[in-house]
Amino acid sequence: MANSFLSPTTQIAVAVLLVVAAMVPMLLKRRVRWTAHFFLVLSSALFILPFVWMLSTSLKPESRIFTFPPQWIPSTDVLDAQGRRVVIYRGTEEGLQGRQGVELSVLENGQYLLNIAGKEMKVWPETFEIKQRLGFHWQNYTKAFKQMDFFQNLRNTLFVCFLTVVGTVISSALVAYSFSRIEWPGRNALFVLVLATMMLPYQVTLIPLFVAYRHIGWAGTFKPLIVPTFFGVPFYIFLLRQFFMGVPQDLSAAARIDGCNEFGIFSRIILPLSKPSLATTALFMFLWEWGDFLNPLIYLQDDRQYTLAIALQQFQSQHESAWGPLMAMATVITIPIIILFFFTQKTFIQGITMTGLKG
Amino acid sequence: MTRRERRNLRNGLLFASPYLLGFVAFTLYPIVMSLYYSLCHYNVINPPVWCGLDNFRTLITEDKVFGKSLWNTLYFTVFSVPMGLAIAVGLALLLHQKVWGLAGYRTVFFLPSIVPIVASGVLWLWVLNPQNGLINSTLAMMNIEGPGWIADEYWSKPSLILMSFWSVGSAMVIFLAGLAEVPQSLYEVADIDGAGRLRKFWNVTLPMITPTILFNLVMGLIAAFQYFTQVYVMTAGKGTPADTTMFYALYMYKNAFNYLRMGYASAMAWLLFILVLTATIGVLISSKRWVHYHGE
Amino acid sequence: MREYLWYIVCAVACLVVLVVLWPSEAGSPEEKAALAEGRVVITYWDRHTGHEYEARVKLIEEFNRSQNQVYVRTLPIGSRIEKLLTAIAGGAPPEICSLETAVLAALASQGCFTPLEDFMAAEPYLNEEKFFPHVWAMVRFDGHVWAVPTTTDSTCLLWNKGAFRRAGLDPDRPPRTLNELEEYAAKLTVRSPNGMVEQIGFLPWLPWDVTHMWGCLFGGKWYDPATKRVVCGNDPGIIASLAWQQTFAVNPASRENPPHAIDPTMVSAIPGGGFGEYQSASNPFYTGKVAMITEGEWQVEFTRKYAPDLDWGVAPIPQPEGAPPVAYSPNAVVDAIPVGSKNEEAAKVFLRWFYSPRPNGGASPASDYNYDIQNIPPRREEAMQERFTGHPKFRVFVEQLLTKPAEPYPAIPAMQLMSDDMERQRGYVTLYKITPEDAAHNIEADTNTELERVAKVRGRAAR
Repeated sequence: MANSFLSPTTQIAVAVLLVVAAMVPMLLKRRVRWTAHFFLVLSSALFILPFVWMLSTSLKPESRIFTFPPQWIPSTDVLDAQGRRVVIYRGTEEGLQGRQGVELSVLENGQYLLNIAGKEMKVWPETFEIKQRLGFHWQNYTKAFKQMDFFQNLRNTLFVCFLTVVGTVISSALVAYSFSRIEWPGRNALFVLVLATMMLPYQVTLIPLFVAYRHIGWAGTFKPLIVPTFFGVPFYIFLLRQFFMGVPQDLSAAARIDGCNEFGIFSRIILPLSKPSLATTALFMFLWEWGDFLNPLIYLQDDRQYTLAIALQQFQSQHESAWGPLMAMATVITIPIIILFFFTQKTFIQGITMTGLKG
Repeated sequence: MTRRERRNLRNGLLFASPYLLGFVAFTLYPIVMSLYYSLCHYNVINPPVWCGLDNFRTLITEDKVFGKSLWNTLYFTVFSVPMGLAIAVGLALLLHQKVWGLAGYRTVFFLPSIVPIVASGVLWLWVLNPQNGLINSTLAMMNIEGPGWIADEYWSKPSLILMSFWSVGSAMVIFLAGLAEVPQSLYEVADIDGAGRLRKFWNVTLPMITPTILFNLVMGLIAAFQYFTQVYVMTAGKGTPADTTMFYALYMYKNAFNYLRMGYASAMAWLLFILVLTATIGVLISSKRWVHYHGE
Repeated sequence: MREYLWYIVCAVACLVVLVVLWPSEAGSPEEKAALAEGRVVITYWDRHTGHEYEARVKLIEEFNRSQNQVYVRTLPIGSRIEKLLTAIAGGAPPEICSLETAVLAALASQGCFTPLEDFMAAEPYLNEEKFFPHVWAMVRFDGHVWAVPTTTDSTCLLWNKGAFRRAGLDPDRPPRTLNELEEYAAKLTVRSPNGMVEQIGFLPWLPWDVTHMWGCLFGGKWYDPATKRVVCGNDPGIIASLAWQQTFAVNPASRENPPHAIDPTMVSAIPGGGFGEYQSASNPFYTGKVAMITEGEWQVEFTRKYAPDLDWGVAPIPQPEGAPPVAYSPNAVVDAIPVGSKNEEAAKVFLRWFYSPRPNGGASPASDYNYDIQNIPPRREEAMQERFTGHPKFRVFVEQLLTKPAEPYPAIPAMQLMSDDMERQRGYVTLYKITPEDAAHNIEADTNTELERVAKVRGRAAR
């Protein structure tokens, strides 16, 4: 009775077609590196999977989320009786209120019980047909927004992200400069110490750290999340050190002859030359803070301070998860990051021309 | 000490002072405390009780799971880190060319690193499903019978290694930044010398990105030794099947927070610390031979 | 000059961003109003998130409206235990928190919760006789009552009537003995021509490991409260239960496997063998991929929600002949007051309200909470309320607790370790790497070593 909207094979075929379609504009350009394109298209199909999965799940009603093999294109059941079409919802799926919908249940004698907006009728399966049509279950998004205080959480997250990014970039660049551009006794030992602090897993430092913050009255505030980033973050100190090491020493020497002091060299020569790595630092720190779950959970003591990453757990309870709204919110949270990345990655291209000119 | 040396020392310390201050204020205390805990029986609730090297002795002589978790972690690190690096370099090289849709491709390869694991975890289970998962159904089309992946004791670790390749995006971005900072003039010189593509890669590109390789290698090592979140989500932290996915950090987590053996977990952490530090210092010492800083 | 302008622009931009993003103060308007009125404000940390948290918040709001002395603010902290542990270790715990008995057993024995026996004995609705004995056993140990039980569970055998029909079995007759269970499992297991398992009849450790349960159902004894030691090592019931579980896994070295045995690796091929899908419409039991399963009472609500068309039945889990009949109820969720709680009395005012019937003879908020999230109330009288026993399926779950002694997890500090070890050893047994005897022996040895260690440390800390 119910025919599948698209069989798995058709879905694969559609995917292949889409990929080929995506290749066409590239093929129109001259001097195409065929192999590179072929490889890129193929492998990007693999890498885009998780995102497409999340997006597609966020648009499916609860009953269709974990079909195996997955249904990539969200669809709904449509009841077709003599040309009239109505969308079908099952069980407690939302949508019956104020929308044209049908509830469907099987009766003992093989008949179906249709409930159209409160009116019930019994029909034989021969008189109607159920078809699958493309259909997006946007209710997941409305539900998700209703369930959490999205804008409050977003504002908290952005606040923490903004300050930590500023703090990390400034402080890590300063410290990295010391480790890469100034020769002083003990700098290598200190550098190894910086690396070493990353090697002790959080599991065993969490408790003393909390005790310490609590002692100075910072528990329950944003301070434990923000203030430490103003004192250099090891990961980015190391990253920036590697890049600063690559800037030719002659530039510093020339500036020194011109009467520039150490801070002048740092701010006028090194920083402008290191835009790609500084952009990477800012981007990574933002991403990390945006997705961090554990630290906000430990230090924040009021749900009005909660960040998006913690609020996401509101969609999961002991024995069940509201996967639809969860995926909807995960999508909402991921998309700004994608946009952000899409635009910052251009800084890398900028970097090419600049170092090209000066190096 | 000459005047210049004195000045350098002053400036060096001045520039490093944020870290030095932060280290004393925020990092030193937890580190010292965890070292102290490792020499104590400590259950988080009650004050620690000194026990000398008891935790270390138990770990090495009695705890069978500890040995397994160490082996699993070494196995994971040895395979996932170098292979992940190679993939990241390869992708970065591809995406450093002027290809149509560059920004889009870069974003796509970075995507798996930003999709929340709670959202993507279910997808990985499907990808690795023995019967109708993505990999096995593809293999079946070629008439190959795929393994049981994450549920199979011989394939569970390779499955997780395979999974880790999906998140090479961040390493790739760092390589891209590294490639962007390779001076164009070097290529021009190589062009004048009549070098081919392969030679240019071997003699210009590769040496010039060795600083970023060093970075990604060291960070990859540190991260792999502490591998936790993905396996916690994928196997609910149970280490199934037959402890083949009981990784070091997972077992440490269980000890610290589920079994309330914080002292024991701290001892584990410090053993791991020594191991990773040794490996890192080894890499750093060897790096003098193979890392090329253009600035020097 | 231009450079300075640039710096100024940057600074101003930062300021603007900060002003826009500056987070609002902690504390909701209601909470501030309550403080202004001079009410005592206390904090409740809920281990639950999602709809269970919402159900709780609804009742707490009712409490806040019902009187003008105490105001309870809530925080969902989720299942990651780090939050509660750091707070307790850092001396900043909430006034009340909800937690599972597995966590309670580990924490309370270290003395980080306030004993509640005096408070509860004085309350007409909270004394020992009101509760199911097995629930009481989970909160009363080391000479104190550590928490007020909020919800409990009951495990039964669920079977898919459609699958029974397809296999030619009577859909209204569940297996009553273990032999029948095996026989049905074999009949209900469907393999495709190429040997893939398409439908599992029954697997003792699906959807999760319940080695403890099978040991109890086989009449085995895991723990002896008198000697405070795990005693499963030579227990014939425990060993028999492990051996019985083993028969469901194909032995790679043997040619003759029982008809109900399947390759355990293939279990993950069934959706729901992993995580996630369990909590959705693709739960293998709903989709017919698994015909029989041992599950808790929450499935009554879940099937209504996710699989309204599923035709299923519920029955007691078969036990071996001669084993004393028992129900299985491993966990409870409880409310406890951490030591260091700033306002114990206010916390007790709230607990008193939550667990007492409403003034006009209505049900207690605790009972409403159970009904809302479809769990079983831990107090006998409340479990017997019409809304719990009126439902033909939910009744079966409740009846188990009403008619038979129920087995909980032993309330020992090493409960987590023991439970993990049971799953580990069972895993090795079903992979035919060790014998059931070895497994029972290992669980006993591992857990007792840990218990001794805990006792030793506690002894030293006390001094």
